[in-house]
Amino acid sequence: MKKMSKIYTALIFAFLFAPIVILLVFSFNASKSLSVFSGFSFKWYRELLRDGETLISLKNTLILAFSASIISTVMGTAAAVGMHKLRNRYLRAAMDSVTNIPMINPDIITGISLMLMFVFVGSRLGRATSLGFGTMLIAHITFCLPYVILQVLPKLQQMDKSLPEAAMDLGCTPMRAFLRAELPEILPGIITGMIMAFTLSLDDFVISYFTQGNNFQTLPIRIYSMTKKTVTPKMYALATLIFFTILALLLASNFIGDEDTRRLREERQKRRGKAAQPKKRRRELSEKTKRRIVYSALGVAAAGALLFALIPPQPQVLNVYNWGEYISDGSEDSLDTIAAFEDWYQETYGQRIQVNYATFTSNEDMYAKLKSGAVSYDVIIPSDYMIARMREENMLLPLDYGNIPNYENIPDNFRNLYYDENNEYTVPYTYGVVGVIYNANAVDEADAEGWDLLWNKKYAGQILQFNNNRDAFGTAMYKLGIDVNTADKADWDRALAELKDQNPLVKSYVMDEIYNMMESGEAAAAAYYAGDYFTMLDAQADNVDLQFYYPERTNYFVDAMCIPSCCQSKELAEIFINYMLSEEPAVANAEYIYYASPNRLVYENEDYIDEMGEEAMDILYQGQDKFQENYNAYAYRSLDPETLDYVNSLWENLKIN
Amino acid sequence: MKKVIVPPQRVQPHERVAPVPYMVWAVLFTVVPLLFIAYYALTDNQFHFTFDNITRFFTATSTMEAADGTQKVIHTYLLIFWRSFKLALISTAVCLLMGYPIAYIIARASPKAQSTMITLIMIPMWMNFLIRTYAWMTILQDTGILNGILSALHLGTVKIIGTEGAVVVGMVYDFLPYMILPIYSVMAKMDTRLLEAARDLGCNSLGVLRRVIFPLSLPGVFSGITMVLVPSISTFYISQKLGNGKFYLIGDAIEGQYVANNLHFAAAIAFILMVALLLSMAVFQRLANRRSYGGA
Repeated sequence: MKKMSKIYTALIFAFLFAPIVILLVFSFNASKSLSVFSGFSFKWYRELLRDGETLISLKNTLILAFSASIISTVMGTAAAVGMHKLRNRYLRAAMDSVTNIPMINPDIITGISLMLMFVFVGSRLGRATSLGFGTMLIAHITFCLPYVILQVLPKLQQMDKSLPEAAMDLGCTPMRAFLRAELPEILPGIITGMIMAFTLSLDDFVISYFTQGNNFQTLPIRIYSMTKKTVTPKMYALATLIFFTILALLLASNFIGDEDTRRLREERQKRRGKAAQPKKRRRELSEKTKRRIVYSALGVAAAGALLFALIPPQPQVLNVYNWGEYISDGSEDSLDTIAAFEDWYQETYGQRIQVNYATFTSNEDMYAKLKSGAVSYDVIIPSDYMIARMREENMLLPLDYGNIPNYENIPDNFRNLYYDENNEYTVPYTYGVVGVIYNANAVDEADAEGWDLLWNKKYAGQILQFNNNRDAFGTAMYKLGIDVNTADKADWDRALAELKDQNPLVKSYVMDEIYNMMESGEAAAAAYYAGDYFTMLDAQADNVDLQFYYPERTNYFVDAMCIPSCCQSKELAEIFINYMLSEEPAVANAEYIYYASPNRLVYENEDYIDEMGEEAMDILYQGQDKFQENYNAYAYRSLDPETLDYVNSLWENLKIN
Repeated sequence: MKKVIVPPQRVQPHERVAPVPYMVWAVLFTVVPLLFIAYYALTDNQFHFTFDNITRFFTATSTMEAADGTQKVIHTYLLIFWRSFKLALISTAVCLLMGYPIAYIIARASPKAQSTMITLIMIPMWMNFLIRTYAWMTILQDTGILNGILSALHLGTVKIIGTEGAVVVGMVYDFLPYMILPIYSVMAKMDTRLLEAARDLGCNSLGVLRRVIFPLSLPGVFSGITMVLVPSISTFYISQKLGNGKFYLIGDAIEGQYVANNLHFAAAIAFILMVALLLSMAVFQRLANRRSYGGA
């Protein structure tokens, strides 16, 4: 029996720690892959420390967790003390139920409900931005409070009721009696509550996702927005560092904690022996505990103060909103574009500037955030069809190209495209084509042609499809030769039927998961954006041979920089856009993102051509001269709301099959 | 139960003031936001009152190919609801089966071992759950670590990623601590003299477990069930990553409508989910109360 329970315990802990071992191991991977281990390296740790944006989001996460846990602990403890003594039965019942609400409501409901309220109130007050640090803090405090209260209340109930009375009889004021007699008794509950609040706040993703605003991005949101590009081992390195920090803290506190366990044992013995215990000992204990609270409170306060001190006051702020992993971040000795811009700005204008860089998951995600009117950004980088939609809805400002002289390096091919036919609103950032990636060791060469490969029954269970409706429907519509921008519902129904036919063959609907699955040979064929093929190629396993081709009809896209109408400093935004077009940052970005650049300074740059290699240049820039023609024929355009809604319901129909 | 009459205690001024900030806070940020969900659910884009969103939830249909190859029409959101509840219930049951024994083992260990094991259970929660779920992909995929180990042991391979099983593994992994902790804290407080008494009165170990420990631990079990069931109903990340994007759950539906900028319909789904949960929790609480006070 003893032995069995030991084995069982070991199994449970193995289960709990299995993924942690995995992320520990892969944080030392030499390649970018999260599923194929290709050698030991400290590379990702170095890059983590150099990655300013990730460190900022880590700092934000900690600031939020510290503030939320401290405030909710103070407020929650006070609430528990009051609730405990509440005489009015109905009020008490009401408070109990309200306290339970955040616990029996899924976090997605708490998040959405708060977001709706903030957005609604913000727009009624005419505020440009209603979401930000403040709203996230409010949300976190709200869902932490019940956990604190429910930890403290039982301690109050267990407490000897005559204790504060006795203290007051002995001449204490009520407040003093609370501090000296009651507080030490309920302290373990308070501390557990605070730790729980801190843990919950640190780990929360869903509520933050709905209540985040500009200029304050936390780590979970940053990780979530990496879903178009891959999640980097850098994040694993970060998790590993956090793990060892906690472990060290725990070991340290164990030394202090020895005192605690001794006391626990004593108390246990006492409980077994005599029921009553001398008052003297109790007071002696409380002295010790009190000293410990003071120390730990001081420690927490110091850590908090340090974190706040790390944010230097900034006179000028620029808010940039981009896809996840869509800018050179200083890894592998590349340029950290954002930091370089800040330095360059200070040198040129003699003023400091701070760029708040935030990332989104999809065009639709970005649109939803901006449309709610709750956030404000100065520069955004959406895709063409979303730009068209935003223009129709007056969500973009015309640019002053006088402030963007580097625009001259964009060739005519990339000007006057449908989403900006008179060149008033946009500056192209990257462009690309969707192609098919396949594992030549699993797919017959003869089958590797057109869209049919993704519908080939021979490869059932090895095919990947996009996990976003526009691109997934796109593959079916290009295959069938349907206009991808049709408003004809019958056409969309045909595309759905095609996708349903494909459904039994599909192994997985993917975005970023495609990297893992293609690199490890888990899947044999998938459609994705051309440049990303090279990221996978770099990390493929030994028995995998990834190849790439373009189907005849396929999607052409442009992602372009624009200024949304909520912009707070337009000139600064234009300076930023202009800087992004200059040679050094543009080359660095193109090398990092691996997508084709519409910038002459990039694709004619010798170093860039060398760095990319012949194959990549071939694939990425194939048919550059005919780009406009293909683009006009195959690019996605903005769909009218009714069609959008219809496509959305068809997508749900596919996904529940 | 015997009632002890305690003279009413004096309520001190600070005790009267103390809960006021929380009361204000809870009304402003817990109660009012829920009214906003109802408000959005019952209005259209122009904030005119309408039942359309609610009706849409119950009437929207999709076609699905049945096992025999015929097409059948099903209610989209009702099916999504049913599937989410089913997966969440399975995960909760697995969490309970796995978590209960471990909570018991921990509660019986020495104080030092207890605190070590409890911290070990909490530690994974300090590392982002998105990242941990991601790591599970590496373990569970067809060419992943698990199958690597199995085939090295000549045990063949299993196909788990993309199945209901993988989603359940993900949910159980993420929410197991929420089951263990409340059960443990009830068990740790249990009066050991009761167990001794039961044994003295002729109970064997199984009898003690069934007739004393289990009934006494019920409050912990009930709060564990709540704490696991609620988040597993609404998760959307786990099903995306470990379900190969083939499990479209309530969380996905709400997030999908939010991203498609159908805020009012997203609110309607959330509202219906909330009402369904509140109702089932009310029933569950009633049951729980009868069990823990009436029975045993």
